[in-house]
Amino acid sequence: MADLLTANKNDNVTLVDALDKVLEKGVVINGDIMIRVADVDLVYLGLRLILTSVSKAEELSGKSFSNPDKEFTPDDIAYIQKLQREIKKAEENIPKLIDLGSPKKTEQGLAQLVLTLLELIRKLMEKEAFRRVKRGSLSQAEVQKLGLSLKAVKKKIQEVQAIFGIKDEDLNLDLGPLGNLM
Amino acid sequence: MDGLYLYCIREKTDTPCFSTKGIDEKEEVFVIPFRELEAVVSKVSFEEFASEEIQKKAREDLNWIKEKAIAHEKVIEEAMRKDDKVLSLIPMRFGTIFKERAGLEETLNKDYLKIREVLDRIRGKQEWSVKVYLKEREKFEQVIKDKNETIKEKEKEIASLPEGLAFFMEEELKEIIAKEINKELNNFAEDIFERLKDFSFDLAKGKLLEKELTGKEKPMVLNVSCLILEDRIEDFKKGVEALDQGINTKGFYLEHSGPWPVYNFSVY
Repeated sequence: MADLLTANKNDNVTLVDALDKVLEKGVVINGDIMIRVADVDLVYLGLRLILTSVSKAEELSGKSFSNPDKEFTPDDIAYIQKLQREIKKAEENIPKLIDLGSPKKTEQGLAQLVLTLLELIRKLMEKEAFRRVKRGSLSQAEVQKLGLSLKAVKKKIQEVQAIFGIKDEDLNLDLGPLGNLM
Repeated sequence: MDGLYLYCIREKTDTPCFSTKGIDEKEEVFVIPFRELEAVVSKVSFEEFASEEIQKKAREDLNWIKEKAIAHEKVIEEAMRKDDKVLSLIPMRFGTIFKERAGLEETLNKDYLKIREVLDRIRGKQEWSVKVYLKEREKFEQVIKDKNETIKEKEKEIASLPEGLAFFMEEELKEIIAKEINKELNNFAEDIFERLKDFSFDLAKGKLLEKELTGKEKPMVLNVSCLILEDRIEDFKKGVEALDQGINTKGFYLEHSGPWPVYNFSVY
C-alpha cells in the first residue's frame, strides 16, 4: 500500500494535488487540536512595511529642474558611449554564461534575494524616470543618458542572474495575501 | 496520553482493517463506529502533537508538513477503496486531533445530520482534478501580438529611436504586452472552465499553485476540481483528453487526475 498515491491513479497524479487538497480543503471540525499550517502572514507583514516606505519616498520625489533644450556635452557623449559598451559587454556575456551550464547553485538562494531587491529598486527608479520622461521636462541628451543607464543596470542584473542560474520569474517574492512583490 | 487523529468519516463497511499506518507512521489505523457511520482514526500521542515543537513544525517546516499531509492522504485513499469500488466518504482537513474517544463521539452526534446530508449528496460521485498549464508562452504571446494593432505600431516606432529613448518605449511596450497576455489568459481559463461544466455535476475553482510547489517549469493557469457522476467518468476522461489536444496548438496543456477524496465538495 506504500504506493497508493501513485498506484491507484493512472492519470498524472502528482504529490502537489494531494498537498493542495489535504492542506487547503476538506472538512474542518473542532477537535482538541487543530494543527494550523501555512501560517506565514507575520513574515510578510515586515516586508510590507519596508515596501510602503519605499513607494512613499518615490511618490514624494517627483520634481525635475532640468532644462529640456540642453545640448549633449562631450562628457555626455563619453558617458553614453561607456554605457553602450557596458550594455554590449553584458549582452555578449550572458549567453556565454548560460552555455557554461554550471550556475553557482550553492549561493543561489542568497543571490536570488539580493537580486530581487535590486530588481525592485531598479523598477522603482525606472518608474520615476518614466514619469519624468513623460512630463517632457528632460532634454533629449538626458533622456538618452537615463535610458542607457537603466538599460545598463538591467543588463548587469541579467548577467548576475546568468552567473547564478536565476530565472526572471525567480526575481520575485510571494507576499502571500498581498500577492507578489512585483 | 493517547489522542485520536481523525482522517475521514464514511458509511460503515465490513472491512475495517487497514494496512496503511497512521499519521505518526507507527500506530494502526482503525474505525470507531457511530450509528451507521464510522470514523477512521489512529492513535497519536496527545502530548507530542500539542507540543510547541510540533506546532512550530506545522507552521514552518515544509518537509514535515509534506510528509504528514501525504500520510493523511494515504489513509484516506485506503479508506475510500473497496475492491474496485470507490466509496463515498468525507475527508477531514489536515490536523484534527481529539483528546479522547468521547469527544469524537460527541462531535459525530452533534454533526450527525450534516454528515448524513453530505454523504447523501456525494453518493455515486467522484472528485477529479483538472489543471491547465501554459506550455509555450512565446506561442501564446505571438498569437496575441499578431492580432493587436497597437502593439505592432509601437514596435515600428521603437525601431526608429536611439537606444536610450527606445529603452523607455520597449519597457512600456513590455508592460502593455504583459497586461494583454494576462487578460487573454483569464479569458482562456474562463473558457476551459465553462467547457468542463458540460461533464461535471459541480465544479470548484482552486488557487493557482506556484511553480515552487508544482515543481513544473510551466505556470499553472487553471486549477479546477470537478464532481463527476460515476457513470459519466468515461465521458469526462474523453472530454478532457480532447480538450487537451485542442489547447495544445495554442501553447497549453492539461492534466487530469482522480478519483480523489471529495475534499472540495464535502464541507458542512
